[in-house]
Amino acid sequence: MVSVISSVDTGHEDMIHDAQLDYYGTKLATCSSDRSIKLFDVSSGQQVPIADLRGHEGPVWQLCWAHPMYGSVLASCGYDRKVIIWKETNGSWDKLYEYSNHDSSVNSVCFAPHELGLVLACGSSDGSISVISTTGDGNWDAKKINNAHTIGCNAVSWAPSTSPNALFDQGARQQPAKRFVSGGCDNLVKIWREEDGQWVEDQKLEGHSDWVRDVAWAPSIGLPRNVIATCSQDCRVIIWTNDGTSNHWTSRVLNKFSDVVWHVSWSVTGNILAVSGGDNKVTLWKESVEGQWTCISDVNKGQGQITDQRSSSG
Amino acid sequence: MALQWSSETFVAELKDLQANAMAVDCLGTQAVLAGKKTLAYVNLENSEEGDDGSNVTRVARQSKWDVNCIQFNPHASHAPLYVTACNTRLDVCQLSDRNGNPVCTLKAHSRIICDVDWSPFDVNVVASCSVDSFTYLWDIREPKKPVHSFQTVAGAYQVKWNKVTNNLFATTHEGDIRIWDPRKGNSPQQYIAAHLSKIHGLDWSPDNQNQFVTASQDGYVKLWDYTNPKKCFGSTDSGAPVRRARYTPFGAGLVTVVVPQLKRGENSLYLWKITKQSDMSPVHTFVGHKDVVLEFQWRKQPEGSRDQQLVTWSRDQSLRIWRIDPNLQRLCGHDGGDSGEVDLTGTSYNSSESTLKDLRDLSLSEPTMEDEMEISVATVTMAQQARSLQQEFSQLNTDIPNITLDQMDPVSRTCRVTGVGGGQKVIMECLFPEAYPNNVSPSFQILTTTLDAAMQSRLLKVLSDTSVKFVRRNNNCLEMCLRQLMSILDSMDDRRSPESEASFTRAPPPIVQATAFNILPMYSLGNFQDSSVPFPRTSGARFSSNGFLVAFGVPAEMKKVSGGAEITPKALSELAAFTQTSWNNTRTNPFSLVFSRSPPTPSSDMSISDFFEKKGRQRSSRHSHSHSLSRRPKRQERYGEKLSSKKQLSVGKVKIYDVEVLVGVNKYLAQHYKMDLDDVEGTCRHNQSAAAAIGRKDLVQTWSIAATMASRKVLPSPVPQMEMPWAMTPCGRPLLKYILDQHGAQFDVQTLAMLCCLFWTPDPPRPRARSQAQVPRSGSKVSLEFTPPNYNPYHTVSSVTGLLKGLRTRHMRMSTFEGGGSQSAYEAEMYDEGHDSAVAKSKRSMSWSDTFDTADDGRSSNGLESQEELEKLQHEDNCKMLDPAVWEQYDRYKLAYAKILYNWRLFNQRALVLKFISTPVPQHKGVEFAVCCHKCGKEMRGPQCSWCKYPALQCSICHIGVRGLANFCLVCGHGGHTVHILEWFKSHSVCPTGCGCNCLKENLFGG
Repeated sequence: MVSVISSVDTGHEDMIHDAQLDYYGTKLATCSSDRSIKLFDVSSGQQVPIADLRGHEGPVWQLCWAHPMYGSVLASCGYDRKVIIWKETNGSWDKLYEYSNHDSSVNSVCFAPHELGLVLACGSSDGSISVISTTGDGNWDAKKINNAHTIGCNAVSWAPSTSPNALFDQGARQQPAKRFVSGGCDNLVKIWREEDGQWVEDQKLEGHSDWVRDVAWAPSIGLPRNVIATCSQDCRVIIWTNDGTSNHWTSRVLNKFSDVVWHVSWSVTGNILAVSGGDNKVTLWKESVEGQWTCISDVNKGQGQITDQRSSSG
Repeated sequence: MALQWSSETFVAELKDLQANAMAVDCLGTQAVLAGKKTLAYVNLENSEEGDDGSNVTRVARQSKWDVNCIQFNPHASHAPLYVTACNTRLDVCQLSDRNGNPVCTLKAHSRIICDVDWSPFDVNVVASCSVDSFTYLWDIREPKKPVHSFQTVAGAYQVKWNKVTNNLFATTHEGDIRIWDPRKGNSPQQYIAAHLSKIHGLDWSPDNQNQFVTASQDGYVKLWDYTNPKKCFGSTDSGAPVRRARYTPFGAGLVTVVVPQLKRGENSLYLWKITKQSDMSPVHTFVGHKDVVLEFQWRKQPEGSRDQQLVTWSRDQSLRIWRIDPNLQRLCGHDGGDSGEVDLTGTSYNSSESTLKDLRDLSLSEPTMEDEMEISVATVTMAQQARSLQQEFSQLNTDIPNITLDQMDPVSRTCRVTGVGGGQKVIMECLFPEAYPNNVSPSFQILTTTLDAAMQSRLLKVLSDTSVKFVRRNNNCLEMCLRQLMSILDSMDDRRSPESEASFTRAPPPIVQATAFNILPMYSLGNFQDSSVPFPRTSGARFSSNGFLVAFGVPAEMKKVSGGAEITPKALSELAAFTQTSWNNTRTNPFSLVFSRSPPTPSSDMSISDFFEKKGRQRSSRHSHSHSLSRRPKRQERYGEKLSSKKQLSVGKVKIYDVEVLVGVNKYLAQHYKMDLDDVEGTCRHNQSAAAAIGRKDLVQTWSIAATMASRKVLPSPVPQMEMPWAMTPCGRPLLKYILDQHGAQFDVQTLAMLCCLFWTPDPPRPRARSQAQVPRSGSKVSLEFTPPNYNPYHTVSSVTGLLKGLRTRHMRMSTFEGGGSQSAYEAEMYDEGHDSAVAKSKRSMSWSDTFDTADDGRSSNGLESQEELEKLQHEDNCKMLDPAVWEQYDRYKLAYAKILYNWRLFNQRALVLKFISTPVPQHKGVEFAVCCHKCGKEMRGPQCSWCKYPALQCSICHIGVRGLANFCLVCGHGGHTVHILEWFKSHSVCPTGCGCNCLKENLFGG
């Protein structure tokens, strides 16, 4: 019983590149090639426009909401090489910070788990990744990983803060893991870890045969494992798993699609993966108890239907 | 050769410069001359004033090499940038304050650089070519190495970008030409054997993307269409080597520089007209230079100017500016959209005021232009007309007071104007007929107004009279009409009472449609640098954190231009290839960049939308085209379709799906689950019925098993010797673990966490955890005199850093704490506070630990020496339904579930779950404070002393116990009401008690 609860006519004048609901699922943010970001209140099932954020000088590629403990904060990145962090104060939206230290299109932004503070990672076509953080007093600090991916970095995604990285180290409360994964034009997936304030490459996962378009670290529900989904220009989606103790990652190809895969997204418990790509279709994949991945439904956006193949989830 | 008039302003004679290269910036304000020893900046702005030297600035340069070439950036936004080529090196400099500041140096060529050319489409791209046989493309933001390189067998002598379409440039190699597309790699698109000897100059047509002209040592000037490399379509023999041939920016003309052989003959610039038959007929000779003309450039004219100016630099070391007045322009087939009067009699060249003073050096000769002029009038094409209206719009001075241009549409040839003044408001529309401005005046229509009928008719009369006056002379009239409108409105000002004005508001800002003078972005889609930018996603689906899926995409009625067969391209640069067709169409529309070389055009039109088209569109549009009679409507239709309907169509709706049923956690259950540790069995039964209410049979089963397991009958006995605890039986711990594993495999974190909470056994805090809590975590060098050694922190201030920073302005380093205030469920959300949290907040005790840690104090202090105690502990562990060895794992379930509850805004439920966390609470990185009561001296854990019930802190200034915000010095321990302390330290830096502590200094972090 998957139902459309809202259908938002954004009024964008050009292609939409990203749409994200905020933490509580009440605000929808969309960004487009028309250089604008639009915000809607969708809590009532109606679309109520909140704001139209203009500040980018080129198409806006991706958005990311921050945890509500930092207020209503949204990050956006675009072709104009800028990353803009927007904040709502007393109902009006303004630029909180603009970061323009990339030399090419910024393709991906992702806020870190809120336990780490207000920290943002950005991947750019200039091959570098920036990790921007603030101390809350208006000062922003940026650490840049140069040449993280040759040719360009296409996606970044943070590890959940509760992800187990050393289970044997029980007892002592560990620092939340500061790790994220990135994918780029060198066909590689890389895991980065902060060590003494510096970002170092932790792992290099080879498996794709063309540009990696998106990476998504699965949310953790406390199980002792790490899961990363990656998708690529080679039309494949790969699921990488790690037992949380070793440094060994095993890969499994979820499926080979008929067209380029642009995006992978995990559900909140990490049990369902939404895959979308150049064929304009969305498929949902679920891991069975036996560890097999099956396609449970198709979201065909042309028809606006999700055909649910199983009546209810177990 | 027809020798006619030329008007030339002598600007500067720079005898000692020995400059080989000259460049004029795209704004027409500066010229740079580059000699071996000096660079000279010439201000062209006030060049009319003559040659007193004030407008020339010389800057010495140190080089043993001549500057071969110099060029300014053709984009107005980067006008002060210029590039010079000197031997093997390119220097990019920024002209500011009449001095060139180096921006970057581009070095890669191994031999002398012969030519440079800025891309007309990308402000940052420069092409350079050299005799080392390489042609490089540079991005001046990445000066270390070229972004593209192209190799040929022979050295390259000229490199020139196409002025109309991006991604095309030509290089010359002796008598050959190669046409390149940087996207296609290191192989030329076209190979043309053009001349028998060396080609000195090449210039692309400003309005046809296929055409260019070449000038060669063999004396020929040839016109080419690169799609037909076999044969030139027009040529002329000038009898002597031709150094340069360039198109005129107006009409269809050429300017050539001929190198007289053996230094004898005329050192002249020739102006040619290219006739429709592609023959070249001479129009004019610019006489004056005494030696070879080394360089000439067109200078951009201020808006509204009808003259064109040519800046020349000759080996005779003089810089000259030549005016090409409208009559001369017309001889080159320029229809003169906004130019002066057409004077067919050919007698009164000087009739217009503005040209009179310019024609100082008028040198007349046989006036043979009558015939040519007739031709030029006759060859006025539709397209040029539309262009001239577009030009008029773009050059219009929109700063007329009280007049707002709401809309200017050169395609539909309309313009909407709002005038406010004299307490009146007029909105009117002007319609420009096709033939305008050739003796056809525009029609004016008042849409809405507050004017009375008499005024309306008077206004229309005045406007039509004004317009007729101008169009009779084939002049544009819009601006004059607007000024008339303004003056009429102004004239009513006096007669109106001022209060009526207030009722009118200004109209919204004008929407000017895509004029070339708009400030277009620097960033254009689809240029060759985008080869590393991934192709934009046009569809996607994203889970939100609370059971929704947001999906967006291209509407079903759209399809890819490329057809469905091949996969979607990889990089953004490939978008250009797909949109090449549509881009060509737009090029010929009136919005082309014929008049302006300012920042790029394709960007404004090209977008990811071009990658998609409406299904079935092709067939239907072809159908309609075959029925369209003229070219214009077709173009209009296409253009309109592309701009509005297509882009609109390509934006699909964003759909939000409720996928909670798939996610496996349920908000209804979260709201209705109970958690009562006193009656676990009853709770399980309750939860069972809650699950049954929404038909989750699997959960009903789980809860019913759980209820059985939690039954009082199987409660373990407190005495170890009695029997094996239930937890140790197969139906105890192993069964529960099995159930947990099952739910874990289904990612059902909700059930996992609930079970973990309910079967959680109050566990005495382990000594290990306890000792950890006692370690002071302060990383700073603040002394903590107030903290007793085994103090259990109650009151903590995690936000010391943040708060202190706020006080920095007052040079005060005091910690702050807040008295009073009750705990609320919301505070539980502070549980996962950031360690270096950006948000300042105060942290209170952990409410979930209160209930359980009180009872255990006795045991932990007694120690665990005795065997009996150990046994008892072991038994306690064994009685637990959940394996204590992996308690951290179970904690994670609870944390993960708490996070989801937060998403649902179920803060109370969340706080309940967090109560069961057995992990020691993370330590704060901030400083923890304890207070000694000022009355009884006892240490305490709150703002109030538990013994004497007095507020613990006493204000050092007013000597009253502090109940509200307090600050105190970390060194001497004195402090008090924040207000008092702030007030005190405004004027003092030592402690108010007189203890001698220099509080302000002592509390500065890091000295």
